[in-house]
Amino acid sequence: MEISTVKREGNTIRFMVSGVTPAFANALRRTVIAEVPTMAIDDVMIIENTSVLFDEFLAHRLGLIPLTTDLDAYTLPENCECRSELGCNRCRASFTMEVEATDRTTTVYSGDLRPDNPAIKPVGEKIPVVKLAPGQKLRLEAYAKLGRGQEHAKWQPVSACTHKYLPTVSVDVSKCDGCGDCVKFCPKCILELKNDKLTVRNVEECTLCTECVRHCAKRPCPIKLDWSEEDFIFYVESTGALPVTQIVEQAAKQIGEKASELSQLIKRAK
Amino acid sequence: MIIPIRCFTCGKVVADKWEEFSNRVKNGEAPKKVLDELGVSRYCCRRMFISHVDIIDDILKYSEATTKKSQEV
Repeated sequence: MEISTVKREGNTIRFMVSGVTPAFANALRRTVIAEVPTMAIDDVMIIENTSVLFDEFLAHRLGLIPLTTDLDAYTLPENCECRSELGCNRCRASFTMEVEATDRTTTVYSGDLRPDNPAIKPVGEKIPVVKLAPGQKLRLEAYAKLGRGQEHAKWQPVSACTHKYLPTVSVDVSKCDGCGDCVKFCPKCILELKNDKLTVRNVEECTLCTECVRHCAKRPCPIKLDWSEEDFIFYVESTGALPVTQIVEQAAKQIGEKASELSQLIKRAK
Repeated sequence: MIIPIRCFTCGKVVADKWEEFSNRVKNGEAPKKVLDELGVSRYCCRRMFISHVDIIDDILKYSEATTKKSQEV
């Protein structure tokens, strides 16, 4: 297995994994989505809510706000030593929120959540939670805990985690007349004419849509689209709860742990 | 009612971009251009913006009216 062409931009990363089976690539994708833990608000104690939204509507919205996560400082509630339903400092982070609209309509933002632990806070300050008309009031306490995407999507660390085969686009130059029709129609602009010769650039951008073949006047078409079944282009987009590199690392670690657990079980069964 | 926090399909946070989107579109900019500049690239997230109607503002008017009425009494 080899990892190459890593391109990281803010909360997204694009990399190629070579020499693996589709099953392994999919295991990595599914682990990223469903098994990497993040923090999210899970319990909300509503003390006062005179807003136009119901309590459960509010609680649901609060739960969906991504929170910055410190995986070293917190443990999953099921692994925590406290064994308490309420949680302890190792498995729970708490927030308070108190907003009142006095003279004009006020928007309550995620930034109004006051965290007990400054390391666990909403990813953005400007996520609107609810709007309050003059005289309306909101007072609540919220408790966040670690969880996994398999239980609820609010614990998913990523908003997109995809993989695709590495496309291969080859042009039979001897049969291509260089009319350039395919260049215009390629939605990803991967084809270009260089000295009347069709060339391919950024082949990893190709989506195998076959628009180039469709608009080619020649039959059989000199452009041949294919893909490699052991090279995968991954695209991962973090919600901001964890740095995107840490998400992938954590997922790889978890696959390793699961594999060693499986081999131990098999050994014991012998 | 109010803009959903996340995209229904992929889970990208969309709520924090709504105010800018709605203000800029009200000022006459093309939704396509605004969404491109906000970095909303997938069509699942884009429909969250273009199909959303922010009726919470209309509902707030009713609560404003009732508070005013109770103050008068």
